[in-house]
Amino acid sequence: MQIICNINHKEYNLEVEPSDRVIDILRELKIRSIKEGCGEGECGACSLFFNGKLVNSCLLLAGQMQSAKILTLEGLYEETKIVRKNFEESGAIQCGFCTSGFILRSYDYIKDNGLEDEKSIKDALDGNLCRCTGYQKIVDAVVKSIK
Amino acid sequence: MKYLIAKSLKDAIELREKYPDFFLLFGASDVALKIKKNQVDGIIDITHLKELSYITKHKNSITIGALTTINTIVSNSYINEFTPILSEASKEFASHQIRNIASLAGNIANTSPVADMIPPLLVLNTKITLLSVKGERTLFLKDFIIGFKSLDIDNEIITSFEIEIQKSQYYYKKIGSRAKLNIAKLSLAMLKNEDGYHISGASLNPYVQRFTNLETLLNSEKYNDTDIQIAIEKDISPSGSFRSTKEYRTKVLFNLIQDALKRFNR
Repeated sequence: MQIICNINHKEYNLEVEPSDRVIDILRELKIRSIKEGCGEGECGACSLFFNGKLVNSCLLLAGQMQSAKILTLEGLYEETKIVRKNFEESGAIQCGFCTSGFILRSYDYIKDNGLEDEKSIKDALDGNLCRCTGYQKIVDAVVKSIK
Repeated sequence: MKYLIAKSLKDAIELREKYPDFFLLFGASDVALKIKKNQVDGIIDITHLKELSYITKHKNSITIGALTTINTIVSNSYINEFTPILSEASKEFASHQIRNIASLAGNIANTSPVADMIPPLLVLNTKITLLSVKGERTLFLKDFIIGFKSLDIDNEIITSFEIEIQKSQYYYKKIGSRAKLNIAKLSLAMLKNEDGYHISGASLNPYVQRFTNLETLLNSEKYNDTDIQIAIEKDISPSGSFRSTKEYRTKVLFNLIQDALKRFNR
């Protein structure tokens, strides 16, 4: 199937198998910020913006990419500058596997005027798992970014 | 695997008629996993049917388009104000990323015994509208879900849900092993209005249904704890699974009902 879509501000014309997963197609295009963790929509390491909404790319099919606008961390490098800096300075990054997913979700939350109390932030991060930090440093980084 | 894309609603129902066994695909949060397990022969992709994504408030009711996402429901002010039990269940649904793409109709059509959205919709006496090449029909959701993974559906697609607005008290609780991305060990949705109690819960029967014995008992206003126990036994047939045991589910449902009654009578 022929797919025309926009990935990270660039037009793509791709030949895909429609039942293939978006995560696999993007990683083949060398877009590597999206990671496969659980492969079933629980860990959020493969999160990306699909027509403006943050979703898990392991649960998204190539057929759905037709005329879609897709943004990953690579395409939002400038926009996420403050969040990235605060993740680095707060020690919110350890092994780094979950980081791009967390940065996109944090950016998404802040962009939508998310509150700075810990409960709201933890609720907002419900679709991202981190096995290193224990989350507190990630929450600290989000709080700092809101301020 | 065949993958067909519906460009319009008309397109979708025609494809439905031609390929009744294909999966309808919108958010893919359930279907993508089925594809991974090779359980899917064909797909009708309805990702582009934007006309089925809306929430409209009428004088005495709210209509929700079939492909409205769970997050759209979470943030909708009409739903928050007039059917708060639906808001509450939506907030506890999966995770942000899944709520962004999963549709209300998808959760119903998957017909899981654990489906989060079915209990609140059942206690709200929700009506569901279906469309096929033969035409449109509307029925109560309770008559639509007729058995384990079994629906009263005939080459149709779900187009909308209609909820009558009524003044009511409500109680919703979802119990599981973790706070987020939680698949329920059990849930209880309970509503009390002029007609009396409306009660349902997930993961307590092979398919989600109303607890009619409990409703009748509580409406009679003459009952004790033993009566409640007996009604529960009649209304539910939980299985023991890796998520929980039959005994736990039965006991916790009893406790939740006590908790709800306390709140209603406060």
